[in-house]
Amino acid sequence: MSAAPRFEGRGVARAFRGGAGVHGIDLDVAAGEIHALVGLNGAGKTTLMRLFLGMLRPDSGEVRVCGVDVSRADAATWARVGQLVEHPLAYAELTGRANLEVAARLHGLDRAGVRAAVDRAIDEFDLGRYAGVRAGRLSLGNRQRVGIAGALLHEPEAIVLDEPTNGLDPAGVIVLRESLLRRAAAGAGILVSSHHLDEVARVADRITVLNDGRIIGSLDPGGFDLERAFFALVHDDDATRRAAA
Amino acid sequence: MSGAGLGVAVAVEARKAIASRVMASTTALLVVGVGVLALGMLLAAASGDEQVLAKLGPLAGVPGWAGLVGVVLQITAAAGVLAFGVALSWMFGREFADGTVAALFGLPVSRPAIALGKLVVYLAWSVAVAVALTGVVAIVGVAMGYGTTDAAGAGAIARIPVLVVLSALIAVPAAWVATIGRGLLPGIAATVGIIVVAQVSALADIGAWVPFVAPALWAIAPDAVPAAALLVVPSVPLAFGALCALAWSRLQLDR
Repeated sequence: MSAAPRFEGRGVARAFRGGAGVHGIDLDVAAGEIHALVGLNGAGKTTLMRLFLGMLRPDSGEVRVCGVDVSRADAATWARVGQLVEHPLAYAELTGRANLEVAARLHGLDRAGVRAAVDRAIDEFDLGRYAGVRAGRLSLGNRQRVGIAGALLHEPEAIVLDEPTNGLDPAGVIVLRESLLRRAAAGAGILVSSHHLDEVARVADRITVLNDGRIIGSLDPGGFDLERAFFALVHDDDATRRAAA
Repeated sequence: MSGAGLGVAVAVEARKAIASRVMASTTALLVVGVGVLALGMLLAAASGDEQVLAKLGPLAGVPGWAGLVGVVLQITAAAGVLAFGVALSWMFGREFADGTVAALFGLPVSRPAIALGKLVVYLAWSVAVAVALTGVVAIVGVAMGYGTTDAAGAGAIARIPVLVVLSALIAVPAAWVATIGRGLLPGIAATVGIIVVAQVSALADIGAWVPFVAPALWAIAPDAVPAAALLVVPSVPLAFGALCALAWSRLQLDR
């Protein structure tokens, strides 16, 4: 297992018309670490995650995954990555199991490895009841479960999950939490965003706060009243920017 | 792009296509629709319906297999391109409409491989449609009694699979437009554009050497189109297939 950070961003910037985007972000996710991103809607969390996965190209700065520049990452590098950003890989016409088999093939597993990986994923994410149901007929939460299972079934070392608890029921949240803690303990580096500060505090080793496309500070996962600390950071930053404008 | 990556992409896309109701219903609509329409037009022409006779033009008096195949080709030259363009717009545009495109990043199977995998499956599907439509027309012809009255003319039926596949080839730009436009509707609009160009030019008897026009012109007036002109048609899927692969390679989720 290499010592390079699973994800590494240096001075990463990508601006959209109107000023949105991210503006010069430095951020690492080490092996074995769960690094949480929190921020209000529009703070730049999803944009930053997209940059780490090559869904967007940076205007400036460097983005590396498993030590390799994202723009030059090859199949072997991407085989070590698992991600769910916004929409799960869950095709409406395919059953839960078929979607997982498709995900396994796309993540580079060979035919022999697919069956075992899919069986494990169905077991881990408690998808047995939905394995034979078309994804189009599944609830939002169960589609999300299929998507998370598909993103993680090849045991990736570098993981990006954007709001993974979206739509999940309380049981699903616990399954996800245990799954992430187990993978981090096995050496995976995980970047996860969430609006649920309590949930973040339960799993994250580090919590970074984004506001208006910049990192404005961090929260202590073991700290008291994270919500108050979060809003104090955001309001201070907003006030500072208003004063400078 | 590795060969293994393309193989996986083809397998995945084939699985999606086989499971999809869009592909199955498009196949059924085209094959059954063209068969029924051709049969109806022939029966109406035989009963002397003047409007139908006018639509058929020079084909009106042609007996046997040649007449049946001529009618089928006229319908297929437009309906085939529409069906193929819609299916292709769905294959590419649905990834954007459903949001699944985000899950196609960060994979060992490259996005150009996925785009080419879609095109490989699409072309294989068009061959299956060609075989099915030819089979249906053969059944209609035999039911009309051409098996005994015009046994020598049965060779004309071989033009049907050729035109079906050519129609599929000239619809490939829809895949590129659906990618650039990030959805189904731009691809369908491109398909309609292709049909208008092909049909208007063919009716005006121009453009035998224009790949988009040659199949429709060949359907109406086979003698007006040299065989070499039909061989130019694959330049469309080659050029637009390459553009598709490039567009998927450079794709960003910035809209």
